[in-house]
Amino acid sequence: MKLAGYTLKFEKKENFTGVEAAVISVLAILFALFLVGIIFLQAGVDPAMGYYEIFSYAFLNPFGLPLTINRAIFLLLCTCAFIVPMRAGLWNIGMAGQLYLGALSAFAVAFAFGARSDAELPAGVVLPLMVLGSAVGGAAAGAIPGLLKGKFNTNEIVVTMMLNFIMFWLVSHMIKEGGPFMGSGGEGEGYRLPASLQPQPNLGVPFTFWFAIGLTVLLHVLFAKTRIGYQIRAFGLNPAAARYAGVSPFKISLLVFILGGLIAGLAGYHYFGTVPGLFKIPKNYGDFGDLAFYGIICGLISQGNPLAAIPLAFLFGGLTSGGRFVQGKLQLGFGIDYAMLGVLMIILVAFQFFFRYRIVLKKDKER
Amino acid sequence: MTSFYPVKCPHRRQGSVIEWLIPMTAEIKHGDIVLEARGITKRYPGLVANDNIDFEIRAGEIHAILGENGAGKTTLMSILFGLVRADEGEIHVFGKKVNFRSPLDAIDLGIGMVHQSRKLISAHSVLENILLGHPQAGSILNFKKAAEEVGHLCDRYGYKLDLNARVWHLSEGEKQMVEILKALYRGAKILIMDEPTSALAPPETKKLLKTIQIMTRDELAIVPFITHKLPIVLSISQRVTVLRRGKVVARLNTADVTEQRLAVEMVGREVIFELERDVVEKGKPILQVENLSAHDEKGIHSVKDISFSVHEGEIFGIAGVSGNGQQTLAEVLAGLRKAAGGRVLLDGLDVTQTSSLDRWKKGIGYIPSEQRAVGSIGDFSLVENMLMSYYYDDAFSKWGFIDFQKTRRFTEELIAEYGVATPNADVNARNLSGGNLQKLILARVLSRKPRLIIANLPTQGLDVGAMEFVQNKLLEARKSGAGILLISEDLDEVMALSDRVAPMYEGEFMGILPGETADRETVGAWMAGLKQKAVEQ
Amino acid sequence: MWEFWVRSLNASTIFTVAALGEIIGQRAGILNVGVEGVMLFGATISFMVAKTTGSYLLGFLAGIAVGALIGLLHAFFSITLGGDQVVNGMGIWILGFGLTAYIGYPFTGPLGLPRIPTIAGLSPFFIFSVLLAVLMWFFLFKTNMGLKLRSVGENPSVAEVSGINVARTRYLSVIFSGMLMGLAGSIYALDYNPVWNYNFLMGWGFIALALVFFAMWNPLILLGGSILFGVLWQVSLNPEALLPNVFSRYIWRTFPFVITIAVLVMMSTRWFSSRWGAAKPEALGLPYEKD
Repeated sequence: MKLAGYTLKFEKKENFTGVEAAVISVLAILFALFLVGIIFLQAGVDPAMGYYEIFSYAFLNPFGLPLTINRAIFLLLCTCAFIVPMRAGLWNIGMAGQLYLGALSAFAVAFAFGARSDAELPAGVVLPLMVLGSAVGGAAAGAIPGLLKGKFNTNEIVVTMMLNFIMFWLVSHMIKEGGPFMGSGGEGEGYRLPASLQPQPNLGVPFTFWFAIGLTVLLHVLFAKTRIGYQIRAFGLNPAAARYAGVSPFKISLLVFILGGLIAGLAGYHYFGTVPGLFKIPKNYGDFGDLAFYGIICGLISQGNPLAAIPLAFLFGGLTSGGRFVQGKLQLGFGIDYAMLGVLMIILVAFQFFFRYRIVLKKDKER
Repeated sequence: MTSFYPVKCPHRRQGSVIEWLIPMTAEIKHGDIVLEARGITKRYPGLVANDNIDFEIRAGEIHAILGENGAGKTTLMSILFGLVRADEGEIHVFGKKVNFRSPLDAIDLGIGMVHQSRKLISAHSVLENILLGHPQAGSILNFKKAAEEVGHLCDRYGYKLDLNARVWHLSEGEKQMVEILKALYRGAKILIMDEPTSALAPPETKKLLKTIQIMTRDELAIVPFITHKLPIVLSISQRVTVLRRGKVVARLNTADVTEQRLAVEMVGREVIFELERDVVEKGKPILQVENLSAHDEKGIHSVKDISFSVHEGEIFGIAGVSGNGQQTLAEVLAGLRKAAGGRVLLDGLDVTQTSSLDRWKKGIGYIPSEQRAVGSIGDFSLVENMLMSYYYDDAFSKWGFIDFQKTRRFTEELIAEYGVATPNADVNARNLSGGNLQKLILARVLSRKPRLIIANLPTQGLDVGAMEFVQNKLLEARKSGAGILLISEDLDEVMALSDRVAPMYEGEFMGILPGETADRETVGAWMAGLKQKAVEQ
Repeated sequence: MWEFWVRSLNASTIFTVAALGEIIGQRAGILNVGVEGVMLFGATISFMVAKTTGSYLLGFLAGIAVGALIGLLHAFFSITLGGDQVVNGMGIWILGFGLTAYIGYPFTGPLGLPRIPTIAGLSPFFIFSVLLAVLMWFFLFKTNMGLKLRSVGENPSVAEVSGINVARTRYLSVIFSGMLMGLAGSIYALDYNPVWNYNFLMGWGFIALALVFFAMWNPLILLGGSILFGVLWQVSLNPEALLPNVFSRYIWRTFPFVITIAVLVMMSTRWFSSRWGAAKPEALGLPYEKD
């Protein structure tokens, strides 16, 4: 492209620094928020006002902040579930399905202990087993694409996508119309956990918060310091070279999907099992599956770095909780939070380009 | 009779240059010059690929272009087909000067190319491939008419081919037929063939030779580019142009030459380098290979019943032109590919079924031929690249945690020892030059003190300094008692380094010669297939 | 019973049209996992236009136009910018899902126009979809353009050498593919179920995507697959009436997805590929750079 004596060229980037990546990511987010600002304007709301309301509700308001934290934990776990296979060069689009199965498994554990009868249950035994159950359930859902990828080289993207729907309907089967986990009210919701299985948040944060942070740090250590992490990274960057170095493609594919599914399973337990006011699989559980897709956005922006995902999870957790709030308060149309999700995602997609190319402006030589 | 095949060259673009260049009715007479190249020169940074090349091609003749890898054949071929532009020189086709902008121009002028890496779409049928891009295919494809016309071509040249078969079902020979048919159906008068027999089984080769001889009767000009298989050159061509290092070194009438003469012309006689080779006592066998067979990734049986052994303090050289099964053999020995039959013994232990990691641990060090695609990870730092051979080693990790500090120190020591030119050990491997990257890979593999080193094309693409460095390192390893399996396409290198040499041809060893007594001409001739399989000496 | 079959065929119409769009894109080598997003755009925009203007024709045209626009966006991201097609498709899906939820909300509710006339309950679009599938099959396998399009999806560098403009072919097919997806969304919103609700497609776009794999990229197999999936969907709406006490309606709904995974696995086995080759276009999902 020529511009007044200058040539604008795109050059392929071989590699980029962490700072460069961070700058691109921040620019992408700012640009997306700018576009959402236009939606605000169109709806007759001053964007500055809109963002002020969103962020003050999300991070300062005593009702908003816990909501933000709960969403951030959920998003962080979903992001980690996406990142692990991503580092091995594989796509996990199935966090939604994995978290559904994780939640179902956790509730199945409680069910097995007779939780529907509202009995006083030994929380010290049942709660850890529920957490474990959700991890196993999520891991099982993850093992399917991992196994198929490792064994038959079946496309993991399509399989995880299909599994999302299978698990979605499976949850409906369990909680609606006479399903075993149906709640007593009969409004198509899951049963509510008895009071003894409702862990109360400590200092405003549920115990799963520490799980999520701990897991993120562990993942960081796993990739940076360990043998397994090294093998995963090697396989992700150059499968042929990794094979040459003795890494088994089958084991890695299976491992990363089991690990990813396990983490997504915990996200399912977290939202349905520890968030006050819920303690059940609600009718609109599908919304949380949709929310899981923010995990892809966070994973892509963080370029697979688990630590970078922590602030991102809080940012997006705040945007979604605050977005819902301003919708009511400023009388914006329904779905402004969804619109934000969409715009963020597509802008991020467009900005992926800058991870691979840099713009070079060269002055033309005098002829 | 000079009428061509029944389809009377109707397939040129309407109104294209060819219409006024060569009137379609003009008949080409036997011996007319159809293509003439004058002073073709092509320079790449640091290399003159083609240096003032002249030659001419005549109707009804087979004119072979002969040369080793790197002699400039590929460049010349690309220039003739419009893929690459020459820096200097001109090309005349049918007496008119031409200037190709793309292969499409060359095709329009009646030049057809039969590629070595088949340029066919494997999921499509034969007929679809032939019709693809044909200027007169029409918007609704008339398969019936096309099948009839292509059928005539098949009949004329004795091809038997199911035109509705999918290309991936076909053998290599049949795929080649499809490429030839495609070129002819578009009206090619000059057929450039890239290594036409390299991927063919002997009976297919025979068939090909027969058909191209029939084609010359129709006054087609055939230009095979050939690296090896000298007997073929002699048996079919009327003329040979021999290239060496970008220059034409000989223009010969095949009737006047012998195979030996051709081999000498092609390889040249000068010795490029001398290496210090100490006398090392040959020890007990490390690697024993018994009746090994294997298939390559396309399922072709490319290693056929090979037996040999490599001893302590010995360099066992495998000489051969690429694509004769060396790659498959190396991968099978390194544990990256399954053997179809036979056994591999390391220090007397059967390792045929073990994984590549297990073989690393047991002391096989593999230097792959592709440094960037297989031997290293471009986005990893040098420290992390070093770990490729050490991550499983308990000396560098504890309870699954890698000791990066120790690895870094170790890497820095090796970088210094091997003289890898890099600012530090945190640079990504993709930023290293080829020579430095190979030094790093060498450092990584040799520092494990492997009992057996499999070096697959270890000096390919390196400059002279790096090349000598690699060769000296291999000799050092030999001196310290390792057994080395050296696979090389460079005859000089194999001859200079090896204690024993096995010329490999079509998946088999043509024999095993002691290094001191083997002479270049014999090895060169054997690896070009000029000998019936010899009894092991 | 007639009612059941008619509803099944009407549902299959939407799968067929959307999946045909996806087939034409994938045959040219461009994967669009955002079918659902494009359909949501098509459905919402056509619904809004039809409700505002009272004209079905304008509604359908708007649905097709917005589909073309989204197709162009996907083509730009995937071909010109050379980005990862899966990421781009996810982006388009989430954009469609998010933005249509917002812009369509004021239009929530029934369309309020007289229904499009049917043939004893059968939608005229069903006949259209059958014709379209046959035409598409003819185009892909019997015409020169179709051959070129398939070649671009199989091996773009060979296609380029044969004188085909790979980028242009891919752009055109992805835009056309978007038009069909937009049309499929419009048929859903204006004919099949003319009541707008947020995210009302409930995964139909993904069923269409699954169908492409199920049909092994063949429009005629697709037709059969669509009808099968349409029947399964219809069974899932009221399983007790047809096959009482077998599965709950929700389990019936998983069937298309389970079947697709099974087909995918079968296609990736050595047994299958040694007989049928890789049915998948070889260059699917890979960006192409001219060298």
